[in-house]
Amino acid sequence: MQVLPVLAKSHEVVLWTDQDHVAPEVHKIAHVAHYEPGTPPWREINNGTISIYHLGNHPEIHASIWQISIQQPGIVVLHDLCLHDLFFTFSVRHRNDRAAYLNAMERWYGQEGRQSAEAFCAGGVSAESMPQDFPLTREATRNALGAITHCGGALAELNETPACPTAALDLPYAATEEPRYRVWLAARDGVPHPPYRLVVFGYLNRNRRMGAVLEALAGIGEREQFRLDICGQLWDESHIRAEIERLGLNSIVSLHGFLSDDQVEQKLSTAHLSINLRYPSMGEASLSQLQFWDYGLPTLVTRTGWYASLPEDATAFVRPESEVADIQAHLRAFLADPGAFRAMGERGRRSLKNHDPERYVDAMTRFAAEALGLSPRVSALALARKIGSDLTEWLPAASSSYLLERASKEIYTIFAGRRRG
Amino acid sequence: MKILIATSSAPFIRGDAEVLAGNLVEALSEAGHEAELAVIPFKGYPPGRIPAQILACRLLDLTETCGTRIDRVVGLKFPAYLIPHPNKVIWLLHQHRAAYELWDHPAGDLMHYPDGPVVREAIRQADRELIPEAKAVYAQSQSVSGRLLRYCGIASEPLYHPPANALLFHKSSPGDYLFFPGPINSADRQRLAMQAIAQCRERVRIRFAGEPGSLTEQAEYFNAVRKRKLSDRIEWLGRVSEDQKRDLYANCLGVIFPPVDEDYGYVTLEAMLSSKPVITCSDSVSLLEFVLDRQTGLVAHPTPESLAQAMDMLWADRRWGAAMGEAGRARYRDLRISWANVAEKLLC
Repeated sequence: MQVLPVLAKSHEVVLWTDQDHVAPEVHKIAHVAHYEPGTPPWREINNGTISIYHLGNHPEIHASIWQISIQQPGIVVLHDLCLHDLFFTFSVRHRNDRAAYLNAMERWYGQEGRQSAEAFCAGGVSAESMPQDFPLTREATRNALGAITHCGGALAELNETPACPTAALDLPYAATEEPRYRVWLAARDGVPHPPYRLVVFGYLNRNRRMGAVLEALAGIGEREQFRLDICGQLWDESHIRAEIERLGLNSIVSLHGFLSDDQVEQKLSTAHLSINLRYPSMGEASLSQLQFWDYGLPTLVTRTGWYASLPEDATAFVRPESEVADIQAHLRAFLADPGAFRAMGERGRRSLKNHDPERYVDAMTRFAAEALGLSPRVSALALARKIGSDLTEWLPAASSSYLLERASKEIYTIFAGRRRG
Repeated sequence: MKILIATSSAPFIRGDAEVLAGNLVEALSEAGHEAELAVIPFKGYPPGRIPAQILACRLLDLTETCGTRIDRVVGLKFPAYLIPHPNKVIWLLHQHRAAYELWDHPAGDLMHYPDGPVVREAIRQADRELIPEAKAVYAQSQSVSGRLLRYCGIASEPLYHPPANALLFHKSSPGDYLFFPGPINSADRQRLAMQAIAQCRERVRIRFAGEPGSLTEQAEYFNAVRKRKLSDRIEWLGRVSEDQKRDLYANCLGVIFPPVDEDYGYVTLEAMLSSKPVITCSDSVSLLEFVLDRQTGLVAHPTPESLAQAMDMLWADRRWGAAMGEAGRARYRDLRISWANVAEKLLC
C-alpha cells in the first residue's frame, strides 16, 4: 500500500490476485481482477504493458504469483532473497511434487544441490542451513525481464545474480506528516519513565532472536529500568512463555499477540527503544524498521543482510556472534544517555526521505521500461538453452563447435539489438 | 539470373500468398530468368517456437546450389524473408501480423499465450534488425508498407501486382445485382452487408459467391436471410468457377467488398479490371489505395446504415455507377499493375 497509490496516479494499474479477500481500500485505488492459477486469463493479463510480480517466502500468497511469473515474463520484486522455503514448501508440502523441488535444486546447484535436497527431504539437513546454502533466488527470477531487490549487492553476495537486469531500490515508505509525529512525541514524553519501554514487533519467527533478547534483559542488573512489550504472533509462544518464567521476567515482559492498527500506534508512540533483530536473515528489507523510524524510535538491529546497510548513526548494531553482550551494552548505553538514542531515532526518521514512494515508483518505472526494451533476450536465452540441450543429445562435442558458433552469432544478431547500438 | 523466391507456408494450406509466389516464379521465368520457390514450412503456435523458426531461417545458406551462385533471393513472408543472402530483395506480403496490428485483434492469437508479449518483442526485434539487410524493401501494398514504417521504422515502396488471369476480366452491361465475391468469413464481413441490405430503401439485390468456413457458418447465414425475409434479395452462389466469377463481375451493377483491415484484396482489382465501381468501408485499409470515394467507388463507414446508403446511391444512379467503373479501369492502367513491372522492380 506504499507503492500502489503513487503508481496509480500516473499509470493504469490492474491488481491481479487469486486471494478471496482484498482490503476494501485497495478497490478505491486500482482495478482489482481475479485469476485462477490453473487458468489465468492471458489475454487480459497481456493487455498490460508489463507485469510486476511480488515474491516472498509465503507459499499461500507467493507460490501462485511465481507460477504466473515464469510463464509470462515481467519484473520480479524480491521481498525475500532466500526463497528456498517457498519452493520447498510449495513443491514438496503443497503439491507433493518432490521431483520439481529436486530439479530446481539441480538446475541451480548441480549434483551437489540435488544430493543436499534429497538429504533435506529425508530429514538429514537442518532447515536453517538450507536457505543459506541454497537460496534458490534464481528459481524465482527464472524467465524474469528484470528483478528488483531492496538491498544493494545482496544478490551478488548470495551468488544468486540472475540473467536479467537487476535494480536495488530503497524500500518505499511514506513518512507520516510532521503534526502527527509531534503528537506521538508528546505521548512518549507523557509516559512516566523509567521504566523505559522496549518493543518487539511483527511476525516473530525463530530468526527474530527472542531468546537472546530475553537472556540479555535478564542478565543485566538494571533490568527493572525496562519494560518489554512483545507484539505479534510468536513462532512458539509456549517456549517463549517458559523462557520468561525461567528467567524471572514476568513483571518486565508482556506478550500482546496480534494488535490492531490503533493498538500498534499506541504501543509505538509510547515506546522508547525498538528491537528488530534478524539472524539468519533471508535477505529481506524490513518495513517494520521504517515504521519504527517513522515514530522516531531508535532501534537495535543485527549487523547482517539489509540491516547491515542501515545508517550507522540511525541504528545500534548487534553482532550475531555476540548478541547477548551487545544487547546488554546498548541497554546500558541507553540508560546512560537516553537523549543520544532519541537523536538516533530522529536521524532514522529523517532518513525516510530516501524511501519516498514517489522516488521509488519513478525508479521502478524507469527500470521496467529499460527491462522491457531488453525482453527479446528472454527468447534469446531460451533459444540458446534449447540449442545447447538439443546438440548435446545428438552431436558429439567435437563436431558441434561450428554450429554452436553460427547459432550463437545469429542469436546475438537477431535478438541483441545491435543496430540500435 | 538464378533467383530463389523464399517464402513460408503452413503445409497443406494454399491461399493467396501461395498463388502469388507461383505467379512470381512464372513472371520471372517469362522475363528470361531461372526462378524457383524455396518454401519454409511454418507453424506459428505455440508462440515460444517462433524464435526457433527465425533462427532456423537464419542458419540456411542460399548463396549457392551445387557450386553455382544463386544470384538473388526474393523474400516474401515471415520468417523466410529473414534468410540471409548478399543480394536479397524483400517484397513483403506481410509480417507476422499477430505481433503487430493484430496483437489485440480477435483474429490475433499471440495475445492468448503467456509468453505472447515476449515473443511479440522478439519478432519485432528480428524484423527491425534483419529486414534492413535487404538491398531493397518493397511491400505488396501501401498498408503493408505503412505498417512496416510505423512499427519498425523501415521505409519500403509499395509494389502492386495483378490478380490471377488479369487479362481475362471483361465488362458487360450493368445487371440487376451487386456482387460480393470471396470466402465467407468474419473478416470479409458478409454479415455487415446483410444487415445493410435490410436497411436499403431501394430493392437492392446481392449475389454472394464463395465458400463458408464451415457448415455451421453456412446455416447461420441462411437462417439470418430467412429471418430477415431477404430471400428474394440475397442469393448464395457458393463456390463458383473462375469463368463464372469473371462473368459475375462483368454483369454486375457494382461490387461490394467491405473487409476489415485487408492487406491487398484482389477483389478490388478484379472489379476495376471489369470496369465496375466498388463499395467498401473506411476501415478496409488497403482497398482505399484503389477505391477513390465517389470517383472509382463509394467508401462507407463500417455500419449497416452507411453501407445501405452507399448501396442505395449506386442502385439509384446507374449511369454514375458505370462512369465510376470506367474510372476504376483507367486507374488500374495508370498504376502500371503488371507482373512485368513487378519483375523489373525486384531485379533492378
